Amino acid sequence: MSYLSEGFIQGLGLIFTMNEEVWTAVITTLKLSFLSMAVTLALGIPGGFILGYFSFPGRRILRIMVDTLLSIPTVVVGLFVYAFISNRGPLGGYSLLFSIPGMAIGQTILALPIVVALTASAVESVDDRLRLTLLTLGARGKRLALSTLWESRHQILLAAVTAYGRVTAEVGVSMMIGGNIKWHTRTITTAITLETGKGEFSTGIALGVLLLGLSFVLNWSLAALRRRTAS
Amino acid sequence: MMRQAQKNGTAPLYEIRDLVCAYGDEPVLHIDRLDISSDGPTAFVGHNGSGKSTLLKALAFLLKPAAGTIRFLGEPTEEREGELRREVTLLLQEPYLLRRSVFENVAYGLRARGATDRLVERVAEALQMVGLPPDFGKREWFRLSGGESRRVALASRLALRTKVLLLDEPTANVDEENALLMARVIGEAREKWGTVSLIASHDIQWLDGVCGRRILMRRGKIESISA
Repeated sequence: MSYLSEGFIQGLGLIFTMNEEVWTAVITTLKLSFLSMAVTLALGIPGGFILGYFSFPGRRILRIMVDTLLSIPTVVVGLFVYAFISNRGPLGGYSLLFSIPGMAIGQTILALPIVVALTASAVESVDDRLRLTLLTLGARGKRLALSTLWESRHQILLAAVTAYGRVTAEVGVSMMIGGNIKWHTRTITTAITLETGKGEFSTGIALGVLLLGLSFVLNWSLAALRRRTAS
Repeated sequence: MMRQAQKNGTAPLYEIRDLVCAYGDEPVLHIDRLDISSDGPTAFVGHNGSGKSTLLKALAFLLKPAAGTIRFLGEPTEEREGELRREVTLLLQEPYLLRRSVFENVAYGLRARGATDRLVERVAEALQMVGLPPDFGKREWFRLSGGESRRVALASRLALRTKVLLLDEPTANVDEENALLMARVIGEAREKWGTVSLIASHDIQWLDGVCGRRILMRRGKIESISA
Protein backbone atom coordinates (compact mmCIF):
# COMPACT_ATOMS: atom_id res chain seq x y z
CA MET A 1 0.00 0.00 0.00
CA SER A 2 3.03 2.27 0.33
CA TYR A 3 2.91 3.12 -3.38
CA LEU A 4 -0.45 4.77 -2.77
CA SER A 5 0.82 7.02 0.02
CA GLU A 6 4.00 7.73 -1.94
CA GLY A 7 1.89 8.55 -4.99
CA PHE A 8 -0.23 10.89 -2.90
CA ILE A 9 2.78 12.75 -1.49
CA GLN A 10 4.42 12.99 -4.92
CA GLY A 11 1.09 14.15 -6.36
CA LEU A 12 0.87 16.99 -3.84
CA GLY A 13 4.46 17.87 -4.74
CA LEU A 14 3.51 18.16 -8.44
CA ILE A 15 0.67 20.48 -7.53
CA PHE A 16 2.67 22.78 -5.30
CA THR A 17 5.71 22.90 -7.59
CA MET A 18 3.35 24.02 -10.35
CA ASN A 19 4.22 21.11 -12.64
CA GLU A 20 3.53 22.44 -16.14
CA GLU A 21 2.04 19.24 -17.52
CA VAL A 22 -0.42 18.95 -14.64
CA TRP A 23 -1.49 22.59 -14.74
CA THR A 24 -1.90 22.61 -18.53
CA ALA A 25 -4.43 19.77 -18.18
CA VAL A 26 -6.23 21.79 -15.48
CA ILE A 27 -6.35 24.92 -17.65
CA THR A 28 -7.60 22.90 -20.65
CA THR A 29 -10.31 21.37 -18.44
CA LEU A 30 -11.38 24.82 -17.24
CA LYS A 31 -11.47 26.28 -20.76
CA LEU A 32 -13.40 23.32 -22.10
CA SER A 33 -15.91 23.16 -19.26
CA PHE A 34 -16.47 26.93 -19.39
CA LEU A 35 -17.24 26.77 -23.12
CA SER A 36 -19.49 23.73 -22.93
CA MET A 37 -21.36 25.00 -19.86
CA ALA A 38 -21.88 28.46 -21.38
CA VAL A 39 -23.57 26.92 -24.43
CA THR A 40 -25.43 24.36 -22.31
CA LEU A 41 -26.91 26.96 -19.98
CA ALA A 42 -27.72 29.39 -22.80
CA LEU A 43 -29.73 26.69 -24.57
CA GLY A 44 -30.78 24.49 -21.67
CA ILE A 45 -32.40 26.99 -19.30
CA PRO A 46 -34.78 28.51 -21.89
CA GLY A 47 -35.39 25.05 -23.38
CA GLY A 48 -36.16 23.49 -20.00
CA PHE A 49 -38.36 26.40 -19.05
CA ILE A 50 -40.41 26.11 -22.25
CA LEU A 51 -40.73 22.35 -21.71
CA GLY A 52 -41.83 22.73 -18.10
CA TYR A 53 -43.98 25.85 -18.31
CA PHE A 54 -45.94 25.68 -21.55
CA SER A 55 -48.34 23.07 -22.87
CA PHE A 56 -47.91 22.26 -26.54
CA PRO A 57 -48.46 19.28 -28.82
CA GLY A 58 -45.67 16.74 -28.53
CA ARG A 59 -44.53 18.00 -25.16
CA ARG A 60 -44.81 14.61 -23.48
CA ILE A 61 -42.85 12.77 -26.15
CA LEU A 62 -40.20 15.50 -26.10
CA ARG A 63 -39.92 15.10 -22.35
CA ILE A 64 -39.44 11.34 -22.69
CA MET A 65 -36.74 11.93 -25.29
CA VAL A 66 -34.90 14.39 -23.05
CA ASP A 67 -35.15 12.00 -20.08
CA THR A 68 -33.80 9.18 -22.26
CA LEU A 69 -30.81 11.30 -23.25
CA LEU A 70 -29.93 11.78 -19.58
CA SER A 71 -28.24 8.39 -19.55
CA ILE A 72 -26.62 8.49 -22.97
CA PRO A 73 -23.13 6.94 -22.79
CA THR A 74 -20.29 9.39 -23.35
CA VAL A 75 -18.61 7.15 -25.92
CA VAL A 76 -21.78 7.08 -28.01
CA VAL A 77 -21.83 10.88 -28.03
CA GLY A 78 -18.14 10.81 -28.84
CA LEU A 79 -18.76 8.44 -31.73
CA PHE A 80 -21.54 10.53 -33.29
CA VAL A 81 -19.74 13.83 -32.86
CA TYR A 82 -16.59 12.26 -34.28
CA ALA A 83 -18.57 11.09 -37.31
CA PHE A 84 -19.92 14.60 -37.85
CA ILE A 85 -16.73 16.60 -37.40
CA SER A 86 -14.13 14.23 -38.87
CA ASN A 87 -12.86 15.11 -42.34
CA ARG A 88 -15.42 12.84 -43.99
CA GLY A 89 -18.32 14.19 -41.90
CA PRO A 90 -20.73 17.05 -42.78
CA LEU A 91 -18.87 19.45 -40.46
CA GLY A 92 -15.42 18.23 -41.51
CA GLY A 93 -14.48 21.55 -43.07
CA TYR A 94 -14.50 23.39 -39.74
CA SER A 95 -11.40 21.66 -38.31
CA LEU A 96 -13.19 20.81 -35.08
CA LEU A 97 -11.67 17.39 -34.54
CA PHE A 98 -8.94 17.36 -31.87
CA SER A 99 -9.86 20.87 -30.80
CA ILE A 100 -11.42 22.33 -27.66
CA PRO A 101 -14.53 23.65 -29.53
CA GLY A 102 -15.05 20.15 -30.97
CA MET A 103 -14.82 18.61 -27.49
CA ALA A 104 -17.22 21.29 -26.23
CA ILE A 105 -19.82 20.22 -28.80
CA GLY A 106 -19.72 16.68 -27.41
CA GLN A 107 -19.85 17.83 -23.79
CA THR A 108 -22.76 20.16 -24.58
CA ILE A 109 -24.69 17.22 -26.01
CA LEU A 110 -23.99 15.34 -22.76
CA ALA A 111 -24.91 18.20 -20.43
CA LEU A 112 -27.84 19.71 -22.29
CA PRO A 113 -30.40 17.00 -21.40
CA ILE A 114 -29.47 17.38 -17.72
CA VAL A 115 -30.10 21.12 -17.68
CA VAL A 116 -33.24 20.85 -19.82
CA ALA A 117 -34.76 17.98 -17.79
CA LEU A 118 -33.92 19.41 -14.36
CA THR A 119 -35.03 22.94 -15.31
CA ALA A 120 -38.31 21.56 -16.66
CA SER A 121 -38.80 19.55 -13.44
CA ALA A 122 -38.00 22.63 -11.34
CA VAL A 123 -40.58 24.73 -13.19
CA GLU A 124 -43.19 21.95 -13.14
CA SER A 125 -42.79 21.41 -9.42
CA VAL A 126 -43.14 25.01 -8.25
CA ASP A 127 -45.66 25.47 -5.48
CA ASP A 128 -49.21 25.85 -6.86
CA ARG A 129 -49.59 28.93 -4.71
CA LEU A 130 -46.79 30.71 -6.60
CA ARG A 131 -48.84 31.06 -9.80
CA LEU A 132 -51.92 32.23 -7.88
CA THR A 133 -49.81 34.72 -5.92
CA LEU A 134 -48.12 36.15 -9.00
CA LEU A 135 -51.45 36.45 -10.82
CA THR A 136 -53.25 38.07 -7.92
CA LEU A 137 -50.41 40.55 -7.53
CA GLY A 138 -50.99 41.57 -11.14
CA ALA A 139 -48.28 39.68 -13.05
CA ARG A 140 -49.07 38.44 -16.52
CA GLY A 141 -47.37 37.45 -19.76
CA LYS A 142 -43.61 37.81 -19.75
CA ARG A 143 -43.40 38.97 -16.13
CA LEU A 144 -45.38 35.94 -14.97
CA ALA A 145 -43.08 33.58 -16.87
CA LEU A 146 -39.84 35.25 -15.80
CA SER A 147 -40.95 35.46 -12.17
CA THR A 148 -41.73 31.74 -12.19
CA LEU A 149 -38.24 31.08 -13.60
CA TRP A 150 -36.64 33.32 -10.98
CA GLU A 151 -38.49 31.57 -8.17
CA SER A 152 -37.04 28.26 -9.45
CA ARG A 153 -33.48 29.60 -9.52
CA HIS A 154 -32.10 27.42 -6.74
CA GLN A 155 -33.16 24.20 -8.47
CA ILE A 156 -31.80 25.54 -11.77
CA LEU A 157 -28.50 26.24 -10.04
CA LEU A 158 -28.52 22.63 -8.90
CA ALA A 159 -29.14 21.54 -12.50
CA ALA A 160 -26.11 23.57 -13.60
CA VAL A 161 -23.91 21.99 -10.91
CA THR A 162 -25.08 18.50 -11.87
CA ALA A 163 -24.34 19.19 -15.53
CA TYR A 164 -20.93 20.60 -14.61
CA GLY A 165 -20.18 17.42 -12.70
CA ARG A 166 -21.04 15.34 -15.76
CA VAL A 167 -18.89 17.53 -18.00
CA THR A 168 -15.77 17.55 -15.83
CA ALA A 169 -15.96 13.85 -14.99
CA GLU A 170 -16.46 12.45 -18.49
CA VAL A 171 -13.65 10.75 -20.37
CA GLY A 172 -15.26 9.30 -23.52
CA VAL A 173 -15.94 12.52 -25.44
CA SER A 174 -12.67 14.18 -24.44
CA MET A 175 -10.69 11.13 -25.43
CA MET A 176 -12.46 10.46 -28.74
CA ILE A 177 -12.89 14.04 -29.94
CA GLY A 178 -9.88 15.62 -28.29
CA GLY A 179 -7.46 12.76 -28.83
CA ASN A 180 -5.68 13.44 -25.50
CA ILE A 181 -3.01 15.57 -27.17
CA LYS A 182 -0.41 16.80 -24.69
CA TRP A 183 -0.35 20.59 -24.15
CA HIS A 184 -3.41 20.94 -26.38
CA THR A 185 -6.51 18.81 -25.67
CA ARG A 186 -5.39 16.78 -22.66
CA THR A 187 -7.87 17.27 -19.82
CA ILE A 188 -7.65 16.17 -16.20
CA THR A 189 -9.69 13.01 -16.79
CA THR A 190 -7.92 11.93 -19.98
CA ALA A 191 -4.56 12.62 -18.31
CA ILE A 192 -5.55 10.50 -15.29
CA THR A 193 -6.50 7.65 -17.64
CA LEU A 194 -3.23 7.89 -19.51
CA GLU A 195 -0.99 8.29 -16.46
CA THR A 196 -2.65 5.41 -14.60
CA GLY A 197 -2.18 3.22 -17.69
CA LYS A 198 1.51 4.11 -17.65
CA GLY A 199 1.74 3.31 -13.94
CA GLU A 200 2.41 6.98 -13.08
CA PHE A 201 0.18 7.06 -10.01
CA SER A 202 1.61 10.28 -8.61
CA THR A 203 0.56 12.36 -11.63
CA GLY A 204 -2.83 10.62 -11.63
CA ILE A 205 -3.31 11.35 -7.95
CA ALA A 206 -2.23 14.98 -8.36
CA LEU A 207 -4.78 15.44 -11.12
CA GLY A 208 -7.45 13.61 -9.12
CA VAL A 209 -6.88 15.89 -6.14
CA LEU A 210 -7.10 18.95 -8.39
CA LEU A 211 -10.34 17.66 -9.95
CA LEU A 212 -11.85 17.18 -6.51
CA GLY A 213 -10.58 20.61 -5.48
CA LEU A 214 -12.19 22.14 -8.56
CA SER A 215 -15.52 20.54 -7.69
CA PHE A 216 -15.24 21.72 -4.10
CA VAL A 217 -14.47 25.33 -5.09
CA LEU A 218 -17.38 25.35 -7.54
CA ASN A 219 -19.86 23.91 -5.07
CA TRP A 220 -18.67 26.21 -2.30
CA SER A 221 -19.00 29.26 -4.58
CA LEU A 222 -22.48 28.23 -5.62
CA ALA A 223 -23.51 27.67 -2.01
CA ALA A 224 -22.29 31.19 -1.18
CA LEU A 225 -24.13 32.60 -4.21
CA ARG A 226 -27.25 30.74 -3.19
CA ARG A 227 -27.08 32.27 0.28
CA ARG A 228 -26.77 35.74 -1.26
CA THR A 229 -29.55 35.31 -3.80
CA ALA A 230 -31.86 33.75 -1.24
CA SER A 231 -32.92 37.22 -0.11
CA MET B 1 -76.19 51.76 -19.26
CA MET B 2 -73.86 49.57 -17.21
CA ARG B 3 -71.18 52.23 -17.16
CA GLN B 4 -73.80 54.72 -16.03
CA ALA B 5 -74.83 52.38 -13.23
CA GLN B 6 -71.20 52.04 -12.21
CA LYS B 7 -70.70 55.78 -12.28
CA ASN B 8 -73.73 56.30 -10.10
CA GLY B 9 -72.46 53.63 -7.76
CA THR B 10 -75.65 51.61 -8.14
CA ALA B 11 -74.16 48.50 -9.74
CA PRO B 12 -73.32 45.75 -7.28
CA LEU B 13 -69.65 44.93 -6.87
CA TYR B 14 -70.27 41.44 -8.23
CA GLU B 15 -73.31 39.94 -9.95
CA ILE B 16 -73.11 36.18 -10.18
CA ARG B 17 -75.53 34.25 -12.41
CA ASP B 18 -75.67 30.44 -12.85
CA LEU B 19 -72.02 30.13 -11.86
CA VAL B 20 -70.46 26.68 -12.00
CA CYS B 21 -66.81 26.14 -11.06
CA ALA B 22 -65.15 22.77 -11.44
CA TYR B 23 -61.81 21.11 -10.82
CA GLY B 24 -61.41 18.81 -13.80
CA ASP B 25 -64.80 17.31 -14.56
CA GLU B 26 -66.06 17.60 -10.99
CA PRO B 27 -68.23 20.67 -10.27
CA VAL B 28 -67.50 22.04 -6.81
CA LEU B 29 -69.44 25.28 -6.86
CA HIS B 30 -72.88 26.09 -8.18
CA ILE B 31 -74.42 29.50 -7.49
CA ASP B 32 -77.67 30.40 -9.23
CA ARG B 33 -77.77 34.03 -8.28
CA LEU B 34 -75.78 36.22 -5.93
CA ASP B 35 -75.17 39.95 -5.77
CA ILE B 36 -72.38 41.28 -3.59
CA SER B 37 -72.60 44.95 -2.76
CA SER B 38 -69.74 47.32 -2.11
CA ASP B 39 -71.39 48.67 1.05
CA GLY B 40 -69.02 46.91 3.40
CA PRO B 41 -67.22 43.68 4.20
CA THR B 42 -69.02 40.44 3.40
CA ALA B 43 -68.23 37.08 4.95
CA PHE B 44 -68.59 33.61 3.45
CA VAL B 45 -69.04 31.01 6.15
CA GLY B 46 -69.44 27.27 5.97
CA HIS B 47 -67.75 23.96 6.62
CA ASN B 48 -64.62 22.73 4.89
CA GLY B 49 -65.44 21.81 1.32
CA SER B 50 -68.43 24.16 1.17
CA GLY B 51 -66.84 26.04 -1.76
CA LYS B 52 -65.73 29.24 0.00
CA SER B 53 -62.15 29.17 -1.27
CA THR B 54 -63.26 28.22 -4.78
CA LEU B 55 -65.68 31.13 -4.81
CA LEU B 56 -62.95 33.53 -3.67
CA LYS B 57 -60.68 32.29 -6.49
CA ALA B 58 -63.47 32.87 -8.99
CA LEU B 59 -64.08 36.35 -7.56
CA ALA B 60 -60.33 37.03 -7.81
CA PHE B 61 -60.50 36.01 -11.50
CA LEU B 62 -58.01 33.24 -10.83
CA LEU B 63 -60.41 30.43 -11.69
CA LYS B 64 -62.29 30.39 -14.96
CA PRO B 65 -65.93 29.41 -14.45
CA ALA B 66 -67.05 26.23 -16.18
CA ALA B 67 -70.42 27.93 -16.81
CA GLY B 68 -72.32 31.06 -15.87
CA THR B 69 -71.26 34.67 -15.58
CA ILE B 70 -69.68 37.06 -13.12
CA ARG B 71 -70.16 40.77 -13.67
CA PHE B 72 -67.86 43.19 -11.89
CA LEU B 73 -69.18 46.71 -11.21
CA GLY B 74 -71.83 46.13 -13.83
CA GLU B 75 -69.40 45.04 -16.54
CA PRO B 76 -68.95 41.56 -18.03
CA THR B 77 -65.67 39.92 -17.04
CA GLU B 78 -65.08 37.29 -19.75
CA GLU B 79 -61.68 37.68 -21.43
CA ARG B 80 -60.85 40.62 -19.15
CA GLU B 81 -59.39 38.59 -16.28
CA GLY B 82 -55.86 40.01 -16.57
CA GLU B 83 -57.11 43.58 -16.48
CA LEU B 84 -59.58 42.89 -13.64
CA ARG B 85 -56.92 41.25 -11.47
CA ARG B 86 -55.57 44.77 -11.06
CA GLU B 87 -58.78 45.75 -9.23
CA VAL B 88 -58.99 42.67 -7.04
CA THR B 89 -56.46 40.78 -4.98
CA LEU B 90 -56.60 37.59 -2.94
CA LEU B 91 -54.72 36.62 0.20
CA LEU B 92 -54.53 32.83 0.20
CA GLN B 93 -55.22 30.77 3.31
CA GLU B 94 -51.56 29.80 3.39
CA PRO B 95 -49.89 32.83 1.85
CA TYR B 96 -46.88 32.27 -0.39
CA LEU B 97 -43.98 34.68 -0.13
CA LEU B 98 -41.73 35.19 -3.12
CA ARG B 99 -38.13 34.17 -2.51
CA ARG B 100 -37.05 37.77 -2.18
CA SER B 101 -36.69 40.38 0.53
CA VAL B 102 -39.75 41.72 2.33
CA PHE B 103 -39.44 44.99 0.39
CA GLU B 104 -39.36 43.17 -2.94
CA ASN B 105 -42.36 41.07 -1.93
CA VAL B 106 -44.43 44.14 -1.12
CA ALA B 107 -43.15 46.08 -4.15
CA TYR B 108 -43.76 43.23 -6.61
CA GLY B 109 -47.40 43.97 -7.36
CA LEU B 110 -46.74 47.70 -7.67
CA ARG B 111 -43.98 47.03 -10.19
CA ALA B 112 -46.26 44.62 -12.07
CA ARG B 113 -48.78 47.45 -12.36
CA GLY B 114 -46.15 49.97 -13.35
CA ALA B 115 -46.97 51.95 -10.20
CA THR B 116 -43.38 52.75 -9.33
CA ASP B 117 -43.91 56.38 -8.32
CA ARG B 118 -43.35 56.74 -4.59
CA LEU B 119 -42.63 53.01 -4.44
CA VAL B 120 -40.60 53.18 -1.25
CA GLU B 121 -43.24 55.24 0.51
CA ARG B 122 -46.08 52.96 -0.55
CA VAL B 123 -44.20 49.89 0.61
CA ALA B 124 -43.40 51.58 3.93
CA GLU B 125 -47.05 52.60 4.35
CA ALA B 126 -48.27 49.05 3.72
CA LEU B 127 -45.72 47.63 6.15
CA GLN B 128 -46.71 50.19 8.75
CA MET B 129 -50.40 49.25 8.36
CA VAL B 130 -49.57 45.68 9.33
CA GLY B 131 -47.45 46.82 12.25
CA LEU B 132 -44.02 46.36 10.68
CA PRO B 133 -41.36 49.11 10.62
CA PRO B 134 -40.03 50.32 7.22
CA ASP B 135 -36.58 48.82 7.83
CA PHE B 136 -38.25 45.41 8.08
CA GLY B 137 -38.18 45.55 4.28
CA LYS B 138 -34.55 44.46 4.33
CA ARG B 139 -35.43 41.19 6.02
CA GLU B 140 -35.03 38.08 3.86
CA TRP B 141 -38.06 35.93 3.20
CA PHE B 142 -36.64 32.87 4.94
CA ARG B 143 -35.95 34.78 8.14
CA LEU B 144 -39.62 35.44 8.91
CA SER B 145 -41.87 33.71 11.41
CA GLY B 146 -45.27 32.40 10.33
CA GLY B 147 -47.05 35.47 11.70
CA GLU B 148 -44.57 37.86 10.06
CA SER B 149 -44.92 36.06 6.72
CA ARG B 150 -48.68 36.49 6.89
CA ARG B 151 -48.31 40.19 7.69
CA VAL B 152 -45.91 40.69 4.78
CA ALA B 153 -48.27 38.86 2.43
CA LEU B 154 -51.12 41.09 3.61
CA ALA B 155 -48.95 44.21 3.21
CA SER B 156 -48.16 43.18 -0.38
CA ARG B 157 -51.92 43.21 -1.10
CA LEU B 158 -52.61 46.42 0.80
CA ALA B 159 -49.89 48.27 -1.13
CA LEU B 160 -51.93 47.72 -4.29
CA ARG B 161 -54.93 49.70 -2.97
CA THR B 162 -57.34 47.51 -4.91
CA LYS B 163 -61.12 47.91 -4.97
CA VAL B 164 -61.56 44.44 -3.52
CA LEU B 165 -59.51 42.53 -0.98
CA LEU B 166 -60.36 38.84 -0.78
CA LEU B 167 -59.19 37.08 2.36
CA ASP B 168 -59.26 33.30 2.64
CA GLU B 169 -59.33 32.19 6.28
CA PRO B 170 -57.29 35.19 7.41
CA THR B 171 -57.31 34.17 11.07
CA ALA B 172 -56.44 30.50 10.55
CA ASN B 173 -53.33 29.61 12.60
CA VAL B 174 -52.76 33.17 13.80
CA ASP B 175 -52.60 34.45 17.35
CA GLU B 176 -55.07 36.91 18.85
CA GLU B 177 -52.84 39.89 18.18
CA ASN B 178 -52.65 39.09 14.47
CA ALA B 179 -56.40 38.44 14.32
CA LEU B 180 -57.08 41.87 15.84
CA LEU B 181 -54.57 43.44 13.45
CA MET B 182 -56.34 41.83 10.51
CA ALA B 183 -59.70 43.30 11.64
CA ARG B 184 -58.15 46.75 12.09
CA VAL B 185 -56.49 46.65 8.67
CA ILE B 186 -59.77 45.73 6.94
CA GLY B 187 -61.36 48.86 8.43
CA GLU B 188 -58.35 51.05 7.64
CA ALA B 189 -58.21 49.93 3.97
CA ARG B 190 -61.92 50.71 3.69
CA GLU B 191 -61.46 54.18 5.16
CA LYS B 192 -58.35 55.08 3.16
CA TRP B 193 -59.09 53.66 -0.28
CA GLY B 194 -62.67 52.37 -0.14
CA THR B 195 -61.40 48.79 -0.37
CA VAL B 196 -64.18 46.23 0.10
CA SER B 197 -63.12 43.07 1.90
CA LEU B 198 -64.73 39.72 1.16
CA ILE B 199 -63.75 37.13 3.72
CA ALA B 200 -64.03 33.36 3.87
CA SER B 201 -63.71 32.26 7.47
CA HIS B 202 -64.68 29.73 10.10
CA ASP B 203 -64.01 32.22 12.87
CA ILE B 204 -67.56 33.37 13.68
CA GLN B 205 -66.52 35.28 16.78
CA TRP B 206 -63.91 37.26 14.86
CA LEU B 207 -66.32 37.89 11.99
CA ASP B 208 -68.82 39.39 14.47
CA GLY B 209 -66.45 42.32 14.89
CA VAL B 210 -65.69 42.71 11.19
CA CYS B 211 -68.61 41.87 8.89
CA GLY B 212 -72.28 42.65 8.93
CA ARG B 213 -73.30 40.54 5.95
CA ARG B 214 -72.87 36.76 6.06
CA ILE B 215 -73.35 34.26 3.29
CA LEU B 216 -73.68 30.70 4.49
CA MET B 217 -72.42 28.09 2.06
CA ARG B 218 -72.91 24.35 2.00
CA ARG B 219 -71.71 21.80 -0.54
CA GLY B 220 -70.87 24.40 -3.11
CA LYS B 221 -74.17 26.26 -2.88
CA ILE B 222 -75.51 29.32 -1.11
CA GLU B 223 -77.62 28.17 1.82
CA SER B 224 -78.65 31.51 3.28
CA ILE B 225 -77.76 35.18 3.37
CA SER B 226 -78.04 37.25 6.51
CA ALA B 227 -77.48 40.96 6.98
